[in-house]
Amino acid sequence: MPQSDVALAPLQEWMQAVVTHPSDVYEAADAADIAVDDVILPSQTLQPIQRVGIYHGMYMLRMIEALTVDYAAVAQFLGEHHFEHLVRDYVQQFPSRSYTFNRLGDSLPAYIASSSMQRRTFLRDLAKLELAMTHVFDEAEAEPLPANAIASIAPEEVADARIIPIPALRLLALDYDANDAFQAFRDDRPMKPRRRKTYLAVHRRDYGVYRMPLTREAFVFLEALVARETIGSAIETFHRRLRRFPAQSELFTWFRDWSAAGLFTAIEVE
Amino acid sequence: MNRFNFPDLGIGVGLRTVHFSHILGSQPDVDWFEALSENYMDTGGRPRYVLEKVAEQYPIVLHGVSLSIGGTDPLDFDYLRKLKSLARTVNARWISDHLCWTGVSGRNVHDLLPMPYNAESLRHTAERVRVVSDFLETPLVVENPSSYVEFATSTMTEWDFLAALAEQSDCGLLLDVNNIYVSSFNHGFDPNVYVDAIPADRVVQVHLAGHQNHGTHIIDTHNDFVIDEVWKLYGRACGRTGDVSTLLEWDADIPDFPTVHAEARKASAFRSEGSRESGAGGRKTADLRSPTPDSRPYSEGPYAAV
Repeated sequence: MPQSDVALAPLQEWMQAVVTHPSDVYEAADAADIAVDDVILPSQTLQPIQRVGIYHGMYMLRMIEALTVDYAAVAQFLGEHHFEHLVRDYVQQFPSRSYTFNRLGDSLPAYIASSSMQRRTFLRDLAKLELAMTHVFDEAEAEPLPANAIASIAPEEVADARIIPIPALRLLALDYDANDAFQAFRDDRPMKPRRRKTYLAVHRRDYGVYRMPLTREAFVFLEALVARETIGSAIETFHRRLRRFPAQSELFTWFRDWSAAGLFTAIEVE
Repeated sequence: MNRFNFPDLGIGVGLRTVHFSHILGSQPDVDWFEALSENYMDTGGRPRYVLEKVAEQYPIVLHGVSLSIGGTDPLDFDYLRKLKSLARTVNARWISDHLCWTGVSGRNVHDLLPMPYNAESLRHTAERVRVVSDFLETPLVVENPSSYVEFATSTMTEWDFLAALAEQSDCGLLLDVNNIYVSSFNHGFDPNVYVDAIPADRVVQVHLAGHQNHGTHIIDTHNDFVIDEVWKLYGRACGRTGDVSTLLEWDADIPDFPTVHAEARKASAFRSEGSRESGAGGRKTADLRSPTPDSRPYSEGPYAAV
C-alpha cells in the first residue's frame, strides 16, 4: 500500500536523488531511502518505477545536450560514447546549481585536467577555448573605443594611462594548439592534437565571437593591460617577464590591431 | 477579459534563436512573442540584443522554467531581481512560470518536476506565489505542467489544486491545453473536466504545442504540430475564457518560421473576428534588420584560420 505521509521536502529530496542517480532507475530506486511504490502510483500502462524512470532518463539526456552545445568540439573529438561517459561523471561532481544552463560547464576544463583521461591536456585546452567562447558570447556589451583613441593620448600621459578592456574578452595561454584543432572541427576536418604553446585572445565584436592568435610577447603585454595595469606598468611587467622592453613598432602594431578589433572600451588616466 | 485586465495579445509564437534572422529580417506579422526568461537574464550578447530589438516592435511576455515555485529551497531573490529587471527592460506584459519544482538542496535538475497535490503543498506554493508576485509587482501567471507521475500523497486533482492556488495567491493562470491532454493520457482523466473546472476569469494566456505519443505514455516534447484533440480542447477553453492570448510552443526539431507561424495561426479559427484588443499587439514599423550574425554557432573572424 502506498504510504501517504511523506512531507513535501523529503519527497522532493527523494525524487531528485532518484532522477539524478548516475546508474539506471532501478539501481537509483534501490539506493533511495523510500520505496518507489510507496510514493508513486501506477498508471494503467506503467508501473511506478517506469513512470519515475521517464524523469530519470530525461535528466541525463538534458545534461548531455546542454554540454554538447557548449563543448561541441570536445564532444566530437571524444565521440558520443566517451563524451556521454564524461558528462555522467562530471555532473555527479559538478551538478547544476544555477537557474541557467550557461554555468553548467564552467568546471569542465578543470575536471578534465584532474581526470585520468587519455589526451587530457589537449582536451583541457580545447575545453578552455570553448568555455572562453561561451563566456565571451554572453558577456555584457560595451562600446569599443574609436580606432584612434589610444593614439590620441597626450605623450606625457601615456605611461599613466589605463586601457580598459571590453568585458567580452578572454586571454588564453595553452599547451596545445587548441585553436587549430577547433578550426579543424569547424571546417569538418579531423582534429589533430599538436603540442605547442599558443596564446589567444577570444573576443566579441558586433555580437560575433572571434579567436585572435597572439605572440607570447603580445600576450604578456595584453595580459598586463587586462589586469588593469597602466601602460607604463605593463611595459615594466613585459620587461620583467621577457627581459627586454617592447619595441615601439611592436606597441604601435599591437594597439593598432587591438583597437581595430574593438578590444578596449575606455581610457583612464591617473 | 481576465480579472487582471491583462490584454488579449492575439496569437503569438515562442521566440527561438533559430528564427532570429528571419524575425529581424522579415518582421513577420506576428501579434506577440514569448521569450524564455532564463535565456536572456544572464547574457549581454546576441540573444539579449535580439530580444530588445524585437521588444521595440512586438509585445513580449516572459516565460520561465527555473522559478521552482513549488520547491522547498528558499526562493532565489537574485534570480527574481534579474527577472524583474529584464521584464522592465522589455516591457513584459506579464511573467509566467510553471506549477512545479526544479531542484532542491541548491541543485537544479532543469526539469519541470511535478508536485503532490495536497494541503501542505498548496499552502507552501500559495505563500511563495504571493511573495513572488509582491516582489515582481505584478501577479505571477502560473502554468499547469505536463507530468508523468502521480503521488500517493496527493489528495486533490490538479485542476482543483490549481483553482485553489489561484484563489489563495491571487495569481493568473497560463492554461496549457497540450499539457492537459498529455497529463490526461498519462494519468487517465477526462481533459474536458479539467478545462471546465478552471476559473476562466484567471486565465491570462493559453499554450499550444505538439507532443510524442509512445503508446503507454505521452512525452511533452514541443516538437510537432498540434493534434486535433488538443485543438478541440483549445476551442473548449476559448468557449470559457473568450478570446485569450494564445501562444504556440515549438522547442525541438524546429521548422522554419513560416511553418511555426502558420501552425499558430490555426488558433484564429477558434477566435472571434478582430477580437484582439486595439493596440495590445501587432508590430510597429521600424526596421529590425541587422547585419550582425546570429547566435551560436559562433561566427568566424579574420583570425580564425591560422
